[in-house]
Amino acid sequence: MVASFDTHVFWEALSSGPYWKGALLALGLTVASISVAIVIGFLLALGRSSRLRAVRGFVFFYNWLFRATPTLLQLLFIWDALPQLWPVFAGSWFTPFLAAFVALSLNEAAYMSEIIRAGLLSVDPGQELAGRALGMSRRQILRRVIVPQSIRIIIPPTGNEFITLLKLTSLASVISVHELLTAANEQASVAFKFAEVYGAALVYYLAMVSVLMLLQSRLERRFTFTSAGRRRRVAAPAVPAVSHDAR
Amino acid sequence: MSRDAILRADAVHKHYGDLEVLRGVTFEVGRGEVKVIIGPSGSGKSTLLRCLALLEEPDAGQVSLEGRRPGRGEVGMVFQRFNLFQNLTALGNVMIGLTEVRRLPKREAREQATEFLARVGLKDKAGQYPDELSGGQQQRVAIARALVMRPQAMLFDEPTSALDVELVREVLDVMEQLANEGMTMVVVSHELRFAHHVASSILMMDEGVVIEEAPPEQFFSAPEHERTRRFLALVE
Repeated sequence: MVASFDTHVFWEALSSGPYWKGALLALGLTVASISVAIVIGFLLALGRSSRLRAVRGFVFFYNWLFRATPTLLQLLFIWDALPQLWPVFAGSWFTPFLAAFVALSLNEAAYMSEIIRAGLLSVDPGQELAGRALGMSRRQILRRVIVPQSIRIIIPPTGNEFITLLKLTSLASVISVHELLTAANEQASVAFKFAEVYGAALVYYLAMVSVLMLLQSRLERRFTFTSAGRRRRVAAPAVPAVSHDAR
Repeated sequence: MSRDAILRADAVHKHYGDLEVLRGVTFEVGRGEVKVIIGPSGSGKSTLLRCLALLEEPDAGQVSLEGRRPGRGEVGMVFQRFNLFQNLTALGNVMIGLTEVRRLPKREAREQATEFLARVGLKDKAGQYPDELSGGQQQRVAIARALVMRPQAMLFDEPTSALDVELVREVLDVMEQLANEGMTMVVVSHELRFAHHVASSILMMDEGVVIEEAPPEQFFSAPEHERTRRFLALVE
């Protein structure tokens, strides 16, 4: 048996308002950031194969900048250094949540662009050829043919990114965003019941990730193109291995 | 030659890097004619078709349809590997050109697409995805997808060479029916029996040029070139 584990404190923490709010905040921040990151990442992925050298150069620079520096540093830079450089950001509108949202979106976009690029490249070139033979424009081919097919390949690594990002939101505690870990820390410093309050936080993260995994498998089935919607074997995605822990 | 040439290639040249794949190809197809192109691999047959379909821009020379540049979907193309859109059903594949390129309303596009699927004998497969169809069925859907655009001419790039032997017939039957209906066709294929009784004439390509063109009887019984004779001996 565990020497001392106060289940009452554990349940108390689990059902407390700050935990709920913290978890919702973390989830909201994650959903908002990954959504924006997917849009920016898609544009970056297209930019990689642009005819314009300057565009390709910009994408390279962007991905280099955001992947070569720690996420925590980017967060601090955007929250503390931007207002110093440009007074516009010193206004009260620039909240910690907004700063975290901007930092995580820009950071995540660099990773998403590589994932989306690999997804687009995984589509057989014959598909584009057939579209052109029908007289479809490049835009139409991308929207109706290439993107839908690449989504199946893009989903699993994007699920990974979502999970990583959800956990990265805990970094936002350093710029006083009241997310889940902040809530746990505050309770821990009051009661000194670490196992109970951190245990409750673990449960929240596990629950959120579980729901996400469920959604992911549904989404994967939705983008499997058979009439019965049943599972089909799909070649392992050609996505570069990305290490997450060190961000 | 034909009085009424509708599809023409005029001194078409094409390079890939240092490799000159087409070295001045000139030929024409009259309305309702079927031309079969044969030749060893690397002779430029597929590149020629791609130039005719505007999938490749010739480095020199011109491609014309009724004396002008072909418009969108006016020259239909059928590929060796079918290239059906994997994310769309058979019906979706045939509809997409109508909805995206011709801008037809969905209902009308669905009606026409269903009619063309029926023409290739696949009305009952409308809701199947390419993965669920045999190679022969996929190729017939691909033919319907090109035909529904009402092309002036149809190009076939080795349409049966990716198929199992027992599936070749069903595709050739559809093509023969099309030829009988008066479709103008250019076919790259080594199906010599098909060539023999469907082609108006047969072209032999080698090293980026057309070295010989003749009606089937003459082509097979008395080929002019030594190169053609040797190639036919290998294929037959």
